[in-house]
Amino acid sequence: MSKWYADAVEIIFPLVLIIASSSCRRDSIEVRQVPKETASPMAMPPDGSMPSGMIDAPPPASGVSWTAPAGWKEEPGNGIRLATFVPPQDPGKSEATVVALPGEAGGELANVNRWRGQIGLAPIDAVVLTAARQGVKSRLGTVVVYDFTGEGTNRSRIVAGLIQVGGTTWYFKLMGDEKAVGKNKAAFIKLLEGLQKDAS
Amino acid sequence: MRPNTPWRRLVAALSSMRLTLVCLGLMMALTVICTLAQVPLGTHVAVDRTIRTFLVWWQPEGSSLQIPVFPGGGMVGALLFINLSLAQFMKLEWSRRKFGLWVSHLGLALLFVGEFSTAFFQVESHMPIEIGQTRDYTEDYRRLELAVVDTTDSERDALTSIPESIVKAGGEIAHPSLPFMLRVKRYHENSQFHMRGPTDPPSEATLGVGASLHMHPEPPVSGEGEQNAASALVEAVAPDGRSLGILWLSNALGAPQGFITEGRTFSLSLRARRYYLPFSLTLKEFHHDKYAGTNIPKNFSSLVRLSDAGRGENRDALISMNNPLRYGGKAFYQASFGKNDTLSVFQVIQNPGWLIPYLSCILVSLGMLIHFGLKLAGAMGGSK
Repeated sequence: MSKWYADAVEIIFPLVLIIASSSCRRDSIEVRQVPKETASPMAMPPDGSMPSGMIDAPPPASGVSWTAPAGWKEEPGNGIRLATFVPPQDPGKSEATVVALPGEAGGELANVNRWRGQIGLAPIDAVVLTAARQGVKSRLGTVVVYDFTGEGTNRSRIVAGLIQVGGTTWYFKLMGDEKAVGKNKAAFIKLLEGLQKDAS
Repeated sequence: MRPNTPWRRLVAALSSMRLTLVCLGLMMALTVICTLAQVPLGTHVAVDRTIRTFLVWWQPEGSSLQIPVFPGGGMVGALLFINLSLAQFMKLEWSRRKFGLWVSHLGLALLFVGEFSTAFFQVESHMPIEIGQTRDYTEDYRRLELAVVDTTDSERDALTSIPESIVKAGGEIAHPSLPFMLRVKRYHENSQFHMRGPTDPPSEATLGVGASLHMHPEPPVSGEGEQNAASALVEAVAPDGRSLGILWLSNALGAPQGFITEGRTFSLSLRARRYYLPFSLTLKEFHHDKYAGTNIPKNFSSLVRLSDAGRGENRDALISMNNPLRYGGKAFYQASFGKNDTLSVFQVIQNPGWLIPYLSCILVSLGMLIHFGLKLAGAMGGSK
């Protein structure tokens, strides 16, 4: 073997080892701007089988109708959401949603604590729940209403109403910036007051 | 020639024929091990644990200790590549007579490079898409991500994607894009959720759908057609230490869950890892052709609209079986379908070295043709 071969081998061999050892992929957190999510097909493995442990979505509910407040944009449902309302986005952002679930769906206290959790509030017990409970009269009966405001510098607020119709519990929720929810609460309560049996 | 240094001795050992034979023997053994391992582990996991690794590890039952028990395909392949390359340079005569062998050896070396490129750089994912739908990302079902999405803006979402490996490691996860820290309290590779009954203990989750569910850990699965339902119990903690809620996240729980903090709305989900594309595909048509009078499939094809504003591309492309769409360094293969033929699923392969095996085969064939051609020419010349 000539001298330049030996020199080349002695230089290249360690280099190959260094490159090979440093070429391992490392996972890191990535941040990116993405388009708003649209309803997507169920992610399924290539063979078409469903993942184990999948929870079935409840069947779509019907039987209650409402009238969207003037100036509110009503958008079609998505997943278990039956409807989404977008009130005017001034003085801040807010959104109202309608969800219907069979039975008591975990119970009133669990749902109220879930809503409180969504705006960073600690869970409450049954005694505080009773004190926080308010009622709004509708043609379907009394809609139980809760109103909570979060903590922090930019506070969030949630006004939620629930009513049982037949074997289904209907949840109406207005949530967003504290000021926006405050401004739109009256219209939301009017929506709850206007709830009636769906003729279709 | 230089004196007999340790380096020279190492190079001599690495270029020996004995090492070639040992490596070939190990490769045969690995092939058998991998084939047998596919029965309990499934193809992908068996290949990952025996071929696409530098060491084959064994974990005694009930122990967290990992013991290396056999060289993996990566190590054997690397050794064989080094062995053949060194032997080529040190032992093969550099002459016109041996030119064909040089070309064949180069082709063989490229085959190893191609496999390493596939093992380290190939990314396989899928794109399920319904007729009329537009998608600009693919999903990797074998890798998960904890997706934290800031949905406050009405136009676009801000996604912070935390890879499964970081979630699995547990502990606290903080990132400048998030106004809170995530504390991973538990992680299970596979689990089952069911609605919490009166006899079940209280849920550890305080927020989201997990608050009304009971989670049961399951042993991980990796067989064909099986998929783990991973679950992570994650607590979001505000900078002042206040808990914003504890959530059960799982790829088995469909809808994202979330909360509002500091006026920003966040949704969290554990989902198949997404790879975003600089272009989008819209499924215009899907065809599931059958042989006349039977239900036997004849052909599957998808007509897609390819839109790439960055490259001024806006055209239709037909993807059918064995006829993929190659674009932007990715190949989209027709892989599956569903929803009464309104859903098409593409297997998406990104492999920067996909051409290497083709080039390798051409070089090996060409080298052998040259070598045996020269031999034949020499023999014919000698017989005159």
